[in-house]
Amino acid sequence: MTLRQSMAGLHTWGGLLPSWLLFVILFAGTLACFDKELERWMRPALHEPVAGSMTADDVSAWLRANVHETLHAYWMHGPTERAPYWKLGWEEDASEVRGKAAFDPRTGEPMPETVGGDFFFTLHYNLQAGTPGMYIVGLAGMFMLVALVSGTIVHRRLFKDFFTLRPQANGQRAWLDAHNLFGVIGLPFHLVLAYTGVAVFVSFYMPAGAKVAYGGDPLAFFHEVQGGYHRNELDRPAEPPVPLSGLLADARQRWGGAELGWIVVEHPSDASAVVSVRRFDPSRIGAPQDALSYDATTGELLHQQQAPAGYRAYTWLAGLHMAQFGGQLVRILYGLLGLAGCAMLVAGTGVWLRKREARDGRGVALVRGLNGAVFFGLPIACLALLWANRLLPETLSARGAAEGWAFSLGWMAVALLALGWRRTPARLTRTLLALSALLALGLPVLNGLTMPDGHLPASLARGDLALAGVDLVLLAVGALCAWRAWRRKPEPRDASLPTEAGVRTPELSR
Amino acid sequence: MTLLAFALAYLAMAALCLAMNRHHRQLFGDGPAPRRQAGLRLFAAAALLAAAVLDSLALGTGIGLVVWFGQFMLGALLVGLLLAWRQRWLLPVGALVAMAGSLTALV
Repeated sequence: MTLRQSMAGLHTWGGLLPSWLLFVILFAGTLACFDKELERWMRPALHEPVAGSMTADDVSAWLRANVHETLHAYWMHGPTERAPYWKLGWEEDASEVRGKAAFDPRTGEPMPETVGGDFFFTLHYNLQAGTPGMYIVGLAGMFMLVALVSGTIVHRRLFKDFFTLRPQANGQRAWLDAHNLFGVIGLPFHLVLAYTGVAVFVSFYMPAGAKVAYGGDPLAFFHEVQGGYHRNELDRPAEPPVPLSGLLADARQRWGGAELGWIVVEHPSDASAVVSVRRFDPSRIGAPQDALSYDATTGELLHQQQAPAGYRAYTWLAGLHMAQFGGQLVRILYGLLGLAGCAMLVAGTGVWLRKREARDGRGVALVRGLNGAVFFGLPIACLALLWANRLLPETLSARGAAEGWAFSLGWMAVALLALGWRRTPARLTRTLLALSALLALGLPVLNGLTMPDGHLPASLARGDLALAGVDLVLLAVGALCAWRAWRRKPEPRDASLPTEAGVRTPELSR
Repeated sequence: MTLLAFALAYLAMAALCLAMNRHHRQLFGDGPAPRRQAGLRLFAAAALLAAAVLDSLALGTGIGLVVWFGQFMLGALLVGLLLAWRQRWLLPVGALVAMAGSLTALV
C-alpha cells in the first residue's frame, strides 16, 4: 500500500466520523467571534448606548447587599466598547457555587438573565459539557489536524485544482471540488486554528509533566508558569477594605492610562484579601498578562506580574485563536474563514455520500440523517435560542436555562425529523431550508415589533452597525435559505429513479 | 488601507488563476501566451507583497500579517466561487474593489 492509499482511508474515515462534532465546534466558534455583539443583541437594556455612572465600588456594594455567603473570590469587568456594562461573577467559599450578574448601565440593577453570546463560546470549547466536553473537543481538534495533513497528502492536484469548482459536474466531482476549494484555500487558517485551539488547553490534555514536577499541585504550576501572585488565607476576619476606585486609578496611572480588564478580589472576607487588576489591551495578538496585586485592606501594591517568555508565547498562540485583537476587521475575517471550514466539512460528507449513494452502500441513510440533524439542526437550534431570548418574559426565573431548553428542544426536533425522513433527502432539505428561512427572517421582524431601541431602522439610524449587523446577517441568511428552498426541485415521484434518467425518456423530453 | 490591501490580494489571486491554462481558457477561449503567463505571475507576486506592506502599515506587522493571510484566503475563495457561478464578474469585481479600496485609502 502506498502512502497515498493508506492516507486515503485515514482521511475518509478519520474525517467522516468526527465531521459532525467538528461542525458543531467550527460553527459555534464562528458565532463566538461575535459573542459580544450577540450578547448586546440579547440584552435589550444595552440596545441604546448610554454612558453609565456605575463604578467598581457600586458593583462590590451590590454584591455585599445581595449575596450573604462567605465568598472564595469575586471578579468583575468594566464597560468596554463592545460590552458596555459591568459584569460580575463570584464563587462561594464552602459550596463552590458560582453566580453571575450583568448590570443595566441606566439603573445599576442586574439585567434579566440570558445565556448571552457566551453560550456559543462555551459550546465551542466544551460543548456545554464541562471538563469531559473539553476533552472531547480536544480529541476532535486532533482529528481535524490529522484530516488536514492526510488531506493534503491524498490530494493529487493540490495546485492544479486550486481554484477549480465545477458545480455542474456529476455529484461526487462537484462535492469533491467544493471540499478541496474550501479546504485547500482555507488550509492556513484551518491548520493554525486547529493547532492553536488544541494548544489553548494543552496543560489539561497533557497534565502528567506538571503533576510530577509540582507534586500534584496544579495551582503551583500555573502560578510559576504565569508569574502570578497568590496569598494564602490567614483565617482572620478582614478589616474594612479600601475603595476599589483608588486602586484602579493607581493601576491606570502605572500603565500610562491603559484600559483595565478583569478585577479579581480573592477571599474578600479574610484578612489576606487581595485585589488583582488586569490590563485590557486589544491592540496586541497575545493579551498582555500584566496584572497588579494590591492588599485589599491597606491598598499597598504587593506584586507586579511579569509573564515569563514561555507564557507569553502561549498567550500569543491562544490570542491568535481567540481573535480579540484588530477589531471587527479580524473578527469578520475569522468569521468568514470559519464558515469556509464549515463548508469544507459539509462538502466532505457530501463526497462520502455521493460516492456510495449510487451503489446504495451501507450507512448512506444514516449519514444523510446525521447531516440533516447536525448541519441543519445546530443553526436552527441557534435561531430557536434567539427566538426564546425575545419571547420569554423578562421576569421568568431561570430564564437562561429556559433559553437553553429552547436550543436543545429545537435541535432535538430537527434531529428527529432528519432521522425520520432520511430516505427522502430532497424533501428533508427543502423543509429544513424553508424552516431556517422562516426562523431567520422572522427574527428581525419580531425585533421590530418588540424592541423600540433595538430594531433595524433604529440601530441603522444611530449608525450602530454592531447591533444592526446581527439583524442584517439574519436577513441575508434567511433570504439565502428561502431562495434555495424555492429553487430546489421537489422530490421525484419514484425516489429510486435519479431525475436525470427520468428526463431522458421520450415523453418527458418532448 | 486594508480594503485596498484586500483588493490587491484579490487581484493577485485572480492573476494567479488566469495564469493557469484551464481558467484562462474559461474566460478568454484559449490558454495564456507564455509571456502573459509570466507577467500575470509577476503581477500577483508584486500585488501580494504590496498588500502585506499596506496591512502592516495600517495595523502593525503582527496583526497586519494575520489580516493579510485572511485576505488572500478570502480573495482566493471569492475568485473560485465567482469562476464557478459568475465567471464574467471576475474582472469587474476586481475593478470595483480596487476602486473602492483606492478611494478609502485616499480619503
